[in-house]
Amino acid sequence: MVIKVEDALRADRLTELKHPDEAAGVPAVARKEGRAPQIVPDANQQTPAVGQRVTRPDSRPHITGQTRYIDDLSFPNMLHMKILRSEHAHARIRAIDVSEAEKMPGVVATLTGREIPVNSFGPSYQDQPVLADEKVRHMGDGVVAVAAETEQLAQDALARIKVEYEPLPLVLDPLEAMNDDAPKIHGDSNIYATKAIRKGDVESALAEADLVMEGRFSTQMVEHVPMEPHATIAMWEPDGRLKILSSLGRITLGRADVARTLDMPVNRIQIVGTIVGGNFGGKNEITTEPVLALLARKTGRPVKGVFTRQDEFVSSTTRHPFIMDYRTGVRKDGRILARKVRIVADGGAYCSWSETTLGKGAILSVGPYRIDHLEVKAYAVYTNKTTCGAMRGFGAPQVCFGYESHMDDIARELGIDPLEIRLRNAFDEGSSSPTGQVLHSVAVKESLETVAHRVGWREQTS
Amino acid sequence: MEITIRVNGQERTASVPPETTLLTMLRANLGLTGAKLGCDVGDCGACSVLVDGEPVNACLMLAAQAAGRDVLTIEGLGDFQELSPLQEMFELFSSFQCGFCAPGMIISAKALLDKTPNPTAAEVREALSGNLCRCTGYTKIIDAVMEMASRGAAESERA
Amino acid sequence: MRPFEYLAPSSVEAAVAALAEHGPGARALAGGTDLLVDLKHDSVSAGLLVDLTRIAECKVIEETPDGLRFGSLVTHTQIMESDLVRRHAPAMIDAARTIGAVQTRNLGTLGGNLVTCVPSLDSGPVLLALDAEVTIAGTGGRRRMPLGEFFVGPRKTALQAGEVLVDIVLPRDSLGKPCSFRKFGLRKGQALALVNAAAATRLDGGKIAGVRIALGAVAPTVIRATRAEAALDGRSPDPTLIAEAADIAATEAKPIDDFRASADYRLELIRTLTRRVLNEAIETATS
Repeated sequence: MVIKVEDALRADRLTELKHPDEAAGVPAVARKEGRAPQIVPDANQQTPAVGQRVTRPDSRPHITGQTRYIDDLSFPNMLHMKILRSEHAHARIRAIDVSEAEKMPGVVATLTGREIPVNSFGPSYQDQPVLADEKVRHMGDGVVAVAAETEQLAQDALARIKVEYEPLPLVLDPLEAMNDDAPKIHGDSNIYATKAIRKGDVESALAEADLVMEGRFSTQMVEHVPMEPHATIAMWEPDGRLKILSSLGRITLGRADVARTLDMPVNRIQIVGTIVGGNFGGKNEITTEPVLALLARKTGRPVKGVFTRQDEFVSSTTRHPFIMDYRTGVRKDGRILARKVRIVADGGAYCSWSETTLGKGAILSVGPYRIDHLEVKAYAVYTNKTTCGAMRGFGAPQVCFGYESHMDDIARELGIDPLEIRLRNAFDEGSSSPTGQVLHSVAVKESLETVAHRVGWREQTS
Repeated sequence: MEITIRVNGQERTASVPPETTLLTMLRANLGLTGAKLGCDVGDCGACSVLVDGEPVNACLMLAAQAAGRDVLTIEGLGDFQELSPLQEMFELFSSFQCGFCAPGMIISAKALLDKTPNPTAAEVREALSGNLCRCTGYTKIIDAVMEMASRGAAESERA
Repeated sequence: MRPFEYLAPSSVEAAVAALAEHGPGARALAGGTDLLVDLKHDSVSAGLLVDLTRIAECKVIEETPDGLRFGSLVTHTQIMESDLVRRHAPAMIDAARTIGAVQTRNLGTLGGNLVTCVPSLDSGPVLLALDAEVTIAGTGGRRRMPLGEFFVGPRKTALQAGEVLVDIVLPRDSLGKPCSFRKFGLRKGQALALVNAAAATRLDGGKIAGVRIALGAVAPTVIRATRAEAALDGRSPDPTLIAEAADIAATEAKPIDDFRASADYRLELIRTLTRRVLNEAIETATS
């Protein structure tokens, strides 16, 4: 079917798109006189497309309820899967008994971690089991999966599964997790990723400062809460190929992970990326795809698995909580001479996208400011909590809260206007990032000036 | 049990166990998958449908409770070839990103405009407060409903 | 949800008989906005659901010789749209408006809200402040009691096994009594109350008369602040007196620390909301 877009562009709407200043109510005279620097060129000076209203080609299926998300799909003879999750945040699995569950009418198959050919995955380190086999490391760890004729039967079967655990000591605080004597979650250290940036001579510069400010800032764990929970259907084609329909956002990476865990070549796996009902980074890696594939192979039937909202919160990845220690040396006039930052990212039970998050967080942790002497140390740490992974910004929102709060504290201590201290330190065209990248199209100061103008900052503070 | 509901103007009957929710009957038995399962506890509004003209969370109503009543789902509004006027506004303003909340959002907006054809922005926000969207920030959704209301008002002035 | 049987009787008597016949495994279903969630999460079980939503007697708001009668199955939306409520007890509309969202208010019922009996229930304070009474039906017939006695503890009411709540009556004396409701939640939409409060009062020759203060989310059930009421009755309202009464009300509450707010924060909210609802009720009484 062809999607009709002919009436999407309506002349009466096109004329209403306004320059941001006009939209914000800045009088035309003020705009012409350039009281606020115009950093946004007029739309039609860029390309004919900018500023034009277009209708999305997928709009009609979406707003008529015809878009097929995974849970809207169904196949003949399809089974439904549910996962029994851990009862402990940290425990050794002594024994699993699925016999009672398997006897239930309507239950077709079960699956445990030991049945998975290569039971580990992860984008940086393959430290995460698809289903926990030897140890559970947080409450969201899946232990047994059940495929049954209905979702309710699969759910009921979970209560009949017996898992014997040997509880292990927990570590929930990332700072405690860094101690030598902390319970270890994987291997012999809970610190599994580090990043360091050094520039100039930070100690000497701090010694020359008129003021050295210190501050600790922390952020909380955040769940993506996509409106559509994670959902997957797996089935085997007659030619022995595996077909997976998934809400996964990164299907090629996902296919590599599925190939690895199932120990089969990628060219025998097809992953169909469907319309995703919200991702935000939370659907960037596999969750139950290998489990569904193996249950589909065991039963010879398509198997669907949809996360409950609870699965979504306890089991899918989240945004890393950061603990950020800042130490900054400044001159009396507000000019920053040196900055030291220590970031401890609470990674939860598995690495996931922590490396990426930590790297980006470290680079951005200094802020958009010209500082010649820097030291940044960043650590990702395991705890017995929900795994942290990709989420929009990859560490940027956390450090932004840290460095901007710190800037406000410094401004207050020196009695300098918070806008002014930022203007005195902000990047210029050609400034270098903490890792030496020369920056172009730098508009920090213009952006600050524009915002200050629009909110009437100087009028209010003078 | 045998349940008959008037869905989008047609008598529809299904044989379902008593614990079946209206949402499950619509999606699994009647093939109407426009209403979505988002949270399953009545918080997100993705499953919104109209029952006798009033929006409800179909995940929190038993199919049996809807027996003999009038249910309107997103499939009962405009279709692919011809959108309803409200859907046209959602298309014009691109009032959705992933689209998962859109059916419920449109159903709630329709319920509001049926009762209050010329709402204030505050009334629109209140009427849509039971429909969560994680992508858009709501602005374009509210704009679409307000535009619909002002066009409706202009039309009734002309009439 | 696990399987259960379902019945939708058309009278209170039939509902009570069905509940009695089926014994402890039977549960009454009203709007379902709490019960169906509990059933889905397997935190309650039911062999039989007796759906009360088809009982005509329980679905009306009407003026009777006793006062204003709300069938227990009246929805929050019905309350918000009722001219009778607007005329006689508009504070009930203010309270109903703060419950859930449109979708939940269309399903959720006044009786269901009271029977669930969570400490934060938003219909409670206004009804307590207006001296509401409730009618309960069981196999032995019907009995009437003040709403204050109906609330027994968190999620626990005076309903005995097999009994159902039939109606809620605002006595004639309370109709038109100036009353104000305030709720404070962490956001505007779909929020549980950190604290909610209602005050009702008349003025008799410029002096406070028959004042009632009711608070929610600050004790195991919605409570009356009777000592604060006693400090106000018979006196002329002024800011100092109101502030004193609000301080006393805070001492009558036992708020808890939880993830939504600290007990100290709730105490501060009690003082603030109590002052506001008293001032508003007095202002209405004056005008």
